[in-house]
Amino acid sequence: MSRVPGKKGPVPGRAGEDDDICPVCKSSRYLNQNMKFLINPECYHKMCESCVDRIFSSGPAPCPVAGCGRTLRKQRFRKQILQDIRIEREVDIRRRVNAVFNRRQEEFETLRDYNNYLEEVEILIFNLINKTDVEETEKKIAAYAADHRSTISRNKALAHEESINITAEAEAQREQARIRRAEDLQEEEDERREREEGKRALVERLANSKGNADAIVQEIERAQVKRSSAKGEKANLERRKENAMATQDPFGVTNGSAGAGFKIAGLKKVVEPEIEKDYDPYGGTALEHEYYVFQDQYEHSWLDKARTNPEITTGGYDVGEYCARAMFEAFAGLGCFIEDELGARNVAVDSGTATAAAAMAAGR
Amino acid sequence: MSEIEKALAELKALMQYRADQLGQVEDFRGLGLTSRKNLCLHPSVKREKSGAVVDARCRSLTAGFVKEKKERGEDVDLCIYHDNLDLLEPHNLVPPGVFTLDGLLKYGEQHKQCPYFSARRMMPFCNVIIYSYHYLLDPKIAERVSKELSKDCIVVFDEAHNIDNVCIESLSIDLNDDILRKATRGADNLERKINEMRESDADKLQSEYAKLVEGLRDAEEARDENAFMANPALPDDLLQEAVPGNIRRAEHFIAFLKRFVEYVKMKIHVLVVSSQTPLRFLQECKESTFIEKKPLRFCAERLTSLVRTLELTNIEDYQSLQEVATFATLAATYDKGFLLILEPYESDTATVPNPILHFACLDAAIAIKPVFDRFSSVIITSGTISPLEMYPKMLGFNTVVQESYSMTLARRSFLPMIVTRGGDQSAISSGFKIRNEPGVVRNYGALLMEFSKITPDGIVVFFPSYLYMESIISMWQGMGILDEIWKFKLILVETPDSQETSLALETYRTACCNGRGAILLCVARGKVSEGIDFDHHYGRTVLCIGVPFQYTESRILKARLEFLRENYRIRENDFLSFDAMRHAAQCLGRVLRGKDDYGIMVLGDRRFLKKRNQLPKWINQAMTVAEENMSTDMAVTNAKKFLRAMAQPFGQKEQDGISTWSIQDLEKHVEKSQTDKIRELQNVQVNGNGDHAMGDGDGLTNGKGTEDNYDDDDDVDAIMRDMEA
Repeated sequence: MSRVPGKKGPVPGRAGEDDDICPVCKSSRYLNQNMKFLINPECYHKMCESCVDRIFSSGPAPCPVAGCGRTLRKQRFRKQILQDIRIEREVDIRRRVNAVFNRRQEEFETLRDYNNYLEEVEILIFNLINKTDVEETEKKIAAYAADHRSTISRNKALAHEESINITAEAEAQREQARIRRAEDLQEEEDERREREEGKRALVERLANSKGNADAIVQEIERAQVKRSSAKGEKANLERRKENAMATQDPFGVTNGSAGAGFKIAGLKKVVEPEIEKDYDPYGGTALEHEYYVFQDQYEHSWLDKARTNPEITTGGYDVGEYCARAMFEAFAGLGCFIEDELGARNVAVDSGTATAAAAMAAGR
Repeated sequence: MSEIEKALAELKALMQYRADQLGQVEDFRGLGLTSRKNLCLHPSVKREKSGAVVDARCRSLTAGFVKEKKERGEDVDLCIYHDNLDLLEPHNLVPPGVFTLDGLLKYGEQHKQCPYFSARRMMPFCNVIIYSYHYLLDPKIAERVSKELSKDCIVVFDEAHNIDNVCIESLSIDLNDDILRKATRGADNLERKINEMRESDADKLQSEYAKLVEGLRDAEEARDENAFMANPALPDDLLQEAVPGNIRRAEHFIAFLKRFVEYVKMKIHVLVVSSQTPLRFLQECKESTFIEKKPLRFCAERLTSLVRTLELTNIEDYQSLQEVATFATLAATYDKGFLLILEPYESDTATVPNPILHFACLDAAIAIKPVFDRFSSVIITSGTISPLEMYPKMLGFNTVVQESYSMTLARRSFLPMIVTRGGDQSAISSGFKIRNEPGVVRNYGALLMEFSKITPDGIVVFFPSYLYMESIISMWQGMGILDEIWKFKLILVETPDSQETSLALETYRTACCNGRGAILLCVARGKVSEGIDFDHHYGRTVLCIGVPFQYTESRILKARLEFLRENYRIRENDFLSFDAMRHAAQCLGRVLRGKDDYGIMVLGDRRFLKKRNQLPKWINQAMTVAEENMSTDMAVTNAKKFLRAMAQPFGQKEQDGISTWSIQDLEKHVEKSQTDKIRELQNVQVNGNGDHAMGDGDGLTNGKGTEDNYDDDDDVDAIMRDMEA
């Protein structure tokens, strides 16, 4: 059979695909240069794009590979990413399991616990891959997913954030490098120009002055060396500053989570953060009146006047405010015992003078 | 004869001389270590051609568990040479003295003991060990070979002008389709072995598992900070940590490896050139195959542990897998100083993809850091290490003493010249714009022709690249220049194939020996430029055609340049020029191999004029101002004069007192330096500084015989004490 590797195909996606024949329709790349192979994660049987179009366009159909017969849908067909189909399947399983079991090392008390957890998960995955105890394993996974929904989603968000951070950091670094590069180029250019200028100046000096030629040359050279070394130092300083800035980049993620159930041992005890109370400007002093109940309406003739007279009400005068104040003042002194308070103040004053006296004694 | 062999022979002669002079044989051991392939005596193993096969077969005959099996009465082959070592005293496998590699082989054959393991086991008891850089710099080997060296060892890197490249190579990994395929096969094999073992000997797997729960190393094996070599591939804290749970079980680990290999396969088959930082690579890896960073870091060690548990003998089957695992570990360990570069095609014009994933180390300091951390004295030296400032920068260390020495020669025995213009006074250069202009090519041809007329015996010509050499040779052929040269000398060419090259070298030597002389056209970064000597009549003229810059379009080089600029403030052009000049110097140094040798060194490019002070001091000093900017005809006249001077009889007598010293000269020198010291001290006293900081570095006068220097210093100390009293 003549096989021509599609090395000049319009889609130079991958090289080294050994078997370029569709196992379903037996057409080869020789006949169809743009042949693409697709797989369905239901049964992982490979077939070419045109076969998929032909068989599955009118709804779900059984897999055409002999002995398989699973019902496949066109929608789920996709390109094969890895060469080895078994690994492809493994990766799919892992994707599913890792979406559920995404605990992080910080959540465990000891490294050993974390490692044990990793191993447990690995065993679960292996069960799925090797098709041993599939049902039981699936049940376990489902139960765990149901139990720890919040933890899972939080860890997922964290992982996502982390990956974004890494990308952003790399981007920033590249940008910085670009800027530095531009600066360097500029610097080099400046230096070159300066050197040329220096040379010109030297020639001019030599042409115009009558002094010793060697001395002039030396003098100008010395000046140049001084200038360039000063510049180098400056650049070094700047760089050091930059480095110092770059190092202080806090990137710590801490979290905790509640967790029991699915026999994960050694999870850190998570302390629920206390719910913060609303801010209280009075610092806990109650504004309740002890000796009276404030009423909405107090019957009094001149209050009525204030209540009804538009001259007063249009200005925004509130009779209620007045009443509240009057009532407060009327009852303010009740419950205060002046003798007691005076006694307390005297004690305080005494102790105050005593400490003052002690201090004076010590000073002397 | 390899460099190691030469150095050992020299050491042997030195110790012999000392024994003659001192009248007693000192208790001294000097050994060299090289690969098993070179030191094997086993009748069937040593016939293998490939080094990897020899290593693997040797291991299968000498590993500890093989011996255990034998003791249990199983029928396994053992190496008799290796077994005999156990009968000897472990600290006295070979008698004191200096053994060259050949000598060690002979001794091993006589006493029926394995030279390789004798050398390796004797390492802690030797005064001098000579081996290749890789045994110290390559993390994979250093861990095994060099861990027993004590902290106060003095490490000397000789011929260290390329040390940064060695460092980088030892941590760089290239992966291609073939390796990945083999890795998959290796993983499959391992899986099968694990299943077999589970059926026959499940306890062993269980005990390995139990050990891994605790940590990678047992307590008894735990590394003492001073005693062990820190492995740059694995930081210390990692080795103390337990292996992650998801690769603890053997079958889980194999699945993990397979997944990773598949991922790399997918990655490599994307036919787009791309470069990625390890961080980005890991992130993508996590997204598409759920491989986390942490287990990746443990990959290499976990694999080693598994291979050990399974007691595998045919290690070479797993080499590719090991490589992938090392790659995984390195990628997950370092996020700075490395870059992943994918090159889908071999060259820009190729249409058939042959993808290679380069995991390129960009920072030479990473590999050499453990050496600096561990040994208190490290010496980096070479005849062509210049400019010196570059090395501390690139390797990340501070020098205590940094010195460039000139050469002491009785006569002017080499003539360095920079030829900037051809016979027609137009500039010559191998710069990209004009390198293929007929005028330039003709001028280069004329240069070579003129020198082939006047030079006796051998001429070595270096080109910047194979490509340029080929094009220039074909143009010379068209111009009839080769025909002209052919009248005077035989023309031989170096090729990338090492066998062809060694044949050419042999022919070249023959032609030089029988008096006709020959021209060897070679490449500045090829095999000839490193380590092949053209002493005496094998090389009287060396011609460097063009500045040997690196191929600047290489993506790895570009990445490295960018890294150097970003992190060490080394500009691209500075580095490229430094690298070109060290190779040029290396080429020039090929012709002058001793005090009685002489040769002409011609640098044929306009651009050398500005780079003159990047040459090593000894070459730069010997070049007068007149010789730094010559045209072809001037250079030829100059060379003629030089050769005539060299042709005068020159005996040992003229050299005495200048480049070779007798004992009287030495005593005179010591006396002189002492009086100098005294005068200096008196000056200090007079100035009233009271500054006694006389660095020991001042005591380094000429590097002639270490003992004399010590005496010298003692005397100085005594004088100082007197003065203080």
